[in-house]
Amino acid sequence: MNLRNTLPALGALALMTFQLPAQAAVSPDALVGPVAEYKLYVLDNLEDLVSHTEAFTAAIRAGDVDKARALYAPTRVYYERIEPIAELFADLDARIDAREDDYEHGVKDPDFTGFHRLEYALFHDHSTKGMNGYAQGLMDNINTLDSRVQDLTFPPKTVVGGAAALMEEVAATKVSGEEDRYSRTDLWDFQANVDGAREIFSLFRPLAEQEDADTVQRIQQNFDHVEAILAEYRVDPQHPEKGFDAYDEVSDTHRRALVGPVTVLAEDLSTLRGLLGLN
Amino acid sequence: MTDDQHPTRCPFILTDDTALDRRRFLRGAGMTGLGLGLSGLCPGQALARLPHEQAPHRQEMTSAPLEQSEQLAYPFYGRHQQGVVTPRQATGMVVSFDILAMDRDALETLLRTLTARIAFLTRGGSYPEHDPRFPPPDSGTLGPHIAPDGLTMTVAVGTSLFDERFGLASQRPTHLQRMQKFPNDALDAPRCHGDLAIQICANTIDTVYHALRDIIKNTPGGLLVRWKQTGTVPLLPPSPGDLNGSARNFLGFRDGSANPAAEDQPLMNALVWIDGQRDEPPWTHGGSYMAVRIIRNLVERWDRTPLGEQEAIFGRRKMSGAPLSGGQEQDVPDYAADPEGHVTPLDAHIRLANPRTPATEKHRILRRPFNYANGVETNGQLDMGLLFICFQADLAAGFIAVQQRLDGEPLEEYIKPVGGGYFFVLPGVTDDSDFLGRSLLAATA
Ligand code: HEM
Repeated sequence: MNLRNTLPALGALALMTFQLPAQAAVSPDALVGPVAEYKLYVLDNLEDLVSHTEAFTAAIRAGDVDKARALYAPTRVYYERIEPIAELFADLDARIDAREDDYEHGVKDPDFTGFHRLEYALFHDHSTKGMNGYAQGLMDNINTLDSRVQDLTFPPKTVVGGAAALMEEVAATKVSGEEDRYSRTDLWDFQANVDGAREIFSLFRPLAEQEDADTVQRIQQNFDHVEAILAEYRVDPQHPEKGFDAYDEVSDTHRRALVGPVTVLAEDLSTLRGLLGLN
Repeated sequence: MTDDQHPTRCPFILTDDTALDRRRFLRGAGMTGLGLGLSGLCPGQALARLPHEQAPHRQEMTSAPLEQSEQLAYPFYGRHQQGVVTPRQATGMVVSFDILAMDRDALETLLRTLTARIAFLTRGGSYPEHDPRFPPPDSGTLGPHIAPDGLTMTVAVGTSLFDERFGLASQRPTHLQRMQKFPNDALDAPRCHGDLAIQICANTIDTVYHALRDIIKNTPGGLLVRWKQTGTVPLLPPSPGDLNGSARNFLGFRDGSANPAAEDQPLMNALVWIDGQRDEPPWTHGGSYMAVRIIRNLVERWDRTPLGEQEAIFGRRKMSGAPLSGGQEQDVPDYAADPEGHVTPLDAHIRLANPRTPATEKHRILRRPFNYANGVETNGQLDMGLLFICFQADLAAGFIAVQQRLDGEPLEEYIKPVGGGYFFVLPGVTDDSDFLGRSLLAATA
């Protein structure tokens, strides 16, 4: 495979640091359209999140371990794509997506709930025993999230900043394989974070391009590069719904090859707010 | 110590003849070479301004650091990199990276970026004002004005850089190799090796971390931190009033007493720097080998060991640093009169490390270690030890040979090497059109 696309990224390093960015000229009005479109994207994903969570939690309540395991990663995808918005509700996010490391007593901590608690039951214990309450809780929290987002006015700053936030998420927990340590479905989440970041970038791209075409082009190339590496690990490229190989199968070389463009994306996307004149 | 006593704070300025007298090399030819270098080493500080009777104490590279001026700047441009023969600063770090760059062009960009950042950071300066809607170009941990603060950054490369990625294999330095386990080692893979390492040293740890974050910020997609280890050198003199003595390590002994004199240029040319005399590719001239070892000290156990045994293990007195054969710290141990090791045991650390015979002269190394303290082990014992760093022109004759002689020494009961690696210190950057690694890239073009 061709891993050489990091070149343009690195080539522009000096410019990234030493040049004062152009004074942003994007008018706030210009942001209204893309922000509205982004809300539609989020609502679409939420709809899917609700229906998939229904099926996932139903399988758990029915004691169908295999089915629940199969539905775990495809359900999470919809949450991972819209994380910048979902994370605005810290109370829900902690109950839906916290990892055992977030708790002093780890897996045994009574406050540890949500996707990763169920992941532990399904992929570590191979059992749904005692999980009904957790399944119901997850469903309730997702429904609450859905209704809160419906009424939410999306702050442009959060939306634009979300692209960088998603890449920080990838850099911090996905590349290291910490996110889905029992199911090893990290690449599903990885791709979903990238999807979410790319959606935001695409919506604001025409505006950003007027300010700094070079950065925009570099972002584009690095997204392509990351997705090309991810594509190598699709179970069946013709059927994206089949998802990805287990993260253990990603070679060290490829993990390293992912870090480069992911870091440059995090660095470049961190300038997106400034480019669009957002304080 | 006040500024009055040390009106010019340049550690390279040596004028106090009585202090000078204590060092072997100064009686020889080293002095002339040294004098020539002075003005270049300490810009803006004229020798003439130094009142003779108030001369600063003579300082060995591994003495307790005297020099703490924020404005202290070591020259970046030169035949050799800084941070090798530079007097040891109060804090140091070795950080090792994986190179993420995928080919030669990206590697060159990376090396040029490193060069530019190091040139800036070691000289100091200000960052331009910045549009607050963008992330600031600098971490800001040193405020708006970056003082040089004695910062040196020494860039070295590991043997993995010479694998298939960049087409450099034909120019690998002769002795560069992957660090192998020695019998007493318990190497922790995440703390070993690396494509590129930087030794970052400064008066304060804040300056060290500022420099590291600047490098990380400016090389996304180029470098990924693999491991790092920081360390310190005590600012206290090893005993009251003894400003010339070597600083102590965490086993309580003075460390550096018998180091070759870093100011002695001919000696450094013989022991540390690579030139045409050696069987090395020409691009390496001006470079050196750096061996790094993270060596844990089992301090609780050490503190329960009788003093006499501690001194026998090293072959030196603990408080004064004097050899067991007598005299003061700087006196040369006498092994000839003690062939059976009644005074200095044959397996004492210093006797094994340097038997002081003509045949073992070529094994001498320049040590530049720092003490480290990381945290607590699961057994409640302190995780502290020595960030051992040494430089030599021949890695095999230097560190590796010395360590092989030390294998099995009684000190091993109290130490555990857990990490580190071997690196090649790139030749210096001669001027602002040059960059780190240029000669290597040119040799493989
Ligand atoms: C935690 C590990 C170590 C400790 C605590 C330690 C400590 C010391 C001390 C206290 C001295 C005497 C003072 C001096 O001359 O500096 C010394 C000397 C020396 N050490 Fe170490 N050392 C350690 C590891 C090593 C290693 C790994 C090497 C090289 C492989 C080494 C090479 C030497 C040499 C060459 C000398 C000077 C001997 C002489 O010329 O008389 N040391 N060390």
